[in-house]
Amino acid sequence: MKGKSQTIDLWTLVTFAGFVIVVVFLIYPLLDIFRYSFIDKDSGEVSLGNWIQFFSKKYYLRAFTNSILIAVATTFFSIVLGVPLAFFTTRYRIAGSTFLTTLSVLALLSPTFIGAYSWITMLGKNGFIRTLFQSIGITLPQIYGPLGIVLADTLQYYPFILLMTSGALMTIDRSLEEASENLGARPGRIFFDVTLPMVLPSVTGGALIVFMMSLSNFGTPMIIGGNFLVLPTLAYNLFTSEISETPGMASTVSIILMLCASLVIVLQQWLASRRKYASMLINRPVVKKLKGLRSVLAHALCYGIVFLSTLPLAVIVYYSFRKTSGPVFQPGFSLDSYRQIFFDVPKTVTNSFLYSLIAVLLIATVGTLLGFVIARKKKGVVRVLDTLLMIPYIVPGTVLGIGFIVAFNRPPLYLTGTAVIIILTYFIRRLPYSVRSAASILKQIDPALEEAGINLGSPPGRTFRTITLPLMQGGIISGAIMSWVTSMNELSASILLYVGQTMTMPIKIYLSVVDGFFGTASAMSTILLFVTGLSMYIVNRYFSRGSETFVSA
Amino acid sequence: MYAIRIIGVEKNFGEVIALSNIHLEIEKGEFFTLLGPSGCGKTTLLRTIAGFCKQDKGDIYIEDELINEVPAYQRNTAMVFQNYAVFPHMTVFDNVAYGLRVRKLTKEVITQRVRTALKSVHLEGFEDRTPDKLSGGQQQRVGLARAMAIEPRVLLFDEPLSNLDAKLRIEMREEIKAVQKSLGITSIYVTHDQEEALVISDRIAVMNQGRIQQVGKPWEIYRNPQNTFVASFVGKINMLTLKLGPGAGLRYRQATTGKVSLNIPAQGTEQLDSIIVAFRPEDVVEVSSKDRSNTITGFLRTVSFMGSIARFEVDVEGQLLTIDRHRPRELDIPPIHSQITFSVPPESILLFDPSSGKRLAQEERP
Repeated sequence: MKGKSQTIDLWTLVTFAGFVIVVVFLIYPLLDIFRYSFIDKDSGEVSLGNWIQFFSKKYYLRAFTNSILIAVATTFFSIVLGVPLAFFTTRYRIAGSTFLTTLSVLALLSPTFIGAYSWITMLGKNGFIRTLFQSIGITLPQIYGPLGIVLADTLQYYPFILLMTSGALMTIDRSLEEASENLGARPGRIFFDVTLPMVLPSVTGGALIVFMMSLSNFGTPMIIGGNFLVLPTLAYNLFTSEISETPGMASTVSIILMLCASLVIVLQQWLASRRKYASMLINRPVVKKLKGLRSVLAHALCYGIVFLSTLPLAVIVYYSFRKTSGPVFQPGFSLDSYRQIFFDVPKTVTNSFLYSLIAVLLIATVGTLLGFVIARKKKGVVRVLDTLLMIPYIVPGTVLGIGFIVAFNRPPLYLTGTAVIIILTYFIRRLPYSVRSAASILKQIDPALEEAGINLGSPPGRTFRTITLPLMQGGIISGAIMSWVTSMNELSASILLYVGQTMTMPIKIYLSVVDGFFGTASAMSTILLFVTGLSMYIVNRYFSRGSETFVSA
Repeated sequence: MYAIRIIGVEKNFGEVIALSNIHLEIEKGEFFTLLGPSGCGKTTLLRTIAGFCKQDKGDIYIEDELINEVPAYQRNTAMVFQNYAVFPHMTVFDNVAYGLRVRKLTKEVITQRVRTALKSVHLEGFEDRTPDKLSGGQQQRVGLARAMAIEPRVLLFDEPLSNLDAKLRIEMREEIKAVQKSLGITSIYVTHDQEEALVISDRIAVMNQGRIQQVGKPWEIYRNPQNTFVASFVGKINMLTLKLGPGAGLRYRQATTGKVSLNIPAQGTEQLDSIIVAFRPEDVVEVSSKDRSNTITGFLRTVSFMGSIARFEVDVEGQLLTIDRHRPRELDIPPIHSQITFSVPPESILLFDPSSGKRLAQEERP
């Protein structure tokens, strides 16, 4: 009996801790933002001034329409690239299709600002492609502004559509398409009658994620946007200029950004709940072999798309090995840029690794425990916790950063300027993903296994440790590695929270780009890319649950 | 005119031989079953007829039309799939109407035919339901109605009942048979369930390792198996390998192993020094003493009460044989380990060549 009472305490404790984390590190800062949005900047009194201003001044409204415009355009082009690529790589034999998928996932997971910055080196004012065309008399438009944001965003986020659509295409039961053909439908008709309707939920699901990512993306518009403001960059600008006063307007913009994001999430959840095409997969779809010109065209299309999205990364790596003299690139190759990093700012590198490591340990432990509670205990309180844990999905990094500053810049929790606050942002931003993934892994483990353990006399706590946990291990570790990658590459929240001592690599890259030190930026970006690539390789090699790992984990 | 003619069809998947020299002729309106263990090639053959799979060699004719090069969507061979393959994004009505719409029939004709098809599978009133609201059995009825509706030249069934529970399986197979007989559509049915095959078919082709082992009516398959594979795959059978004694030119020869000694007809055994003797559990007669000829004695190991029969496992010379007692009564069941003696009527004994597994050529059995 003693064992029983102990474990009830354990899971109650976990639930309680979950609530404390959510309330202190999410609800409290967000309520603070909410409160500030109703406080007049000058008089310090409660007013609707900020809200009225937002909806009446063109400057603010434009950032709103810009954001929507960018997100819509990015989503559209991501579908245009992602769906055909998914179709060709899953249904036809494309040489090296695994390699192509890997490359596009690398683009997806690389820090958002690297792509933007790389496109500047190619198509910016003095970009090498632009200079090349200039020399033969063609003036290309500069990449700054909406064009650049959409380009960089699309090439980064289309893999979401690719992965989700491929997943759906690979799990359509072959019998459905065969039934259609068997009843007399020609190949084209089969596609529109059966294949397309079956993958449509996944395409729209992927599209909503892309929309959301693009909407809350901070790094890309900040680097390549020029004067073209979107909501996250507007909030950042307002906040950094308002810093001495109360952050009223920045708070209002943050709330509006969150409202947009929640709308998308609600839509996505509704869509996900409607989708019920899961079939018992007996017959996997066949991969057809293309011949002659068709095969050449299919290969050209697939390789073309992936080449375009990998190009920015390749350019960065190339520049990191170029000789530099201060901000200017010299002819020839050297390791100058790397040397500079390790002599001038080694702390930045160690900070990034250290903070991410601590955050990941926290995320994996807390995420697994909470995931277990949510998957196995279906009490009302747990449901509430589950819903609350959705909040970080709708809080863009910029908003969380602002919230953390306003909330933890005063007692009882005075955290600004510490490493703790940066680790905490990593932790909070990734926690819901970790909880979800742990819960979904658990749902795939037959509860009968746990019952068998208990039935053989092992108390619940021990059963969890000796049976459930080992079965979850692979999933937990791959989830943790994905958290590690996103933490290493986090910019939008930490840029608001860092001080000189707690600077991380993404922040340093951003600052170097702004100051024109492209060599340092390239070398550091290359390090991040390498870490990202290596992590992906490890996940793929040792814990593969297929490419879904990269979408859901 | 045959409904289907298959001439010398072969198919390999890499190293694996899926179909080897298949010849079949199927009559119009016939219910024809391909029976065999998994991997025997039965599904490959069915899919080759449907056009999902192309043979490496050989010809397939449907109603005297050579269809080797006809694409699957023009073959008019409607299939009922193992996992139903009911379109999940369409209502029951739209599912059944699908093939009719592809054929560009008028609205009235479509409505009429869908009604009729749904009626014959007892799904009237389900028109507007979506598949996720249907049970497995109901989904398979939709699959059947959908296939029937296009009035195909052949109905193909790919293990349609294997995902249903036992009771429903029996119900559905009666229904499939009834619908097929009333429409008179030629049907090819794939299954690994020998009981299902016996019940439902006009004729059966037993397949193994890509080859047809035997084609015949259910009675012939069960009573007159042509090799040890067919004998042991269809129904339960006991097989004993015995040494043949001298006796060339005699009417009977003695076959022995240990204490078992049987007199078997000598015809066809001239070249052999050993033989496989096989008999079905239901054919043996329990006897009280050894005074009759061709008796076998062993020790009772287990008793399985199955309702209409009790099945005994008897240890004979270290080998377990199965015998059935009909209309069993609890009081009459002998205790475990007791001695059991039974005899096998000579007309129930099947003889096989141990080296080839083939039935010995003997006079036709009654």
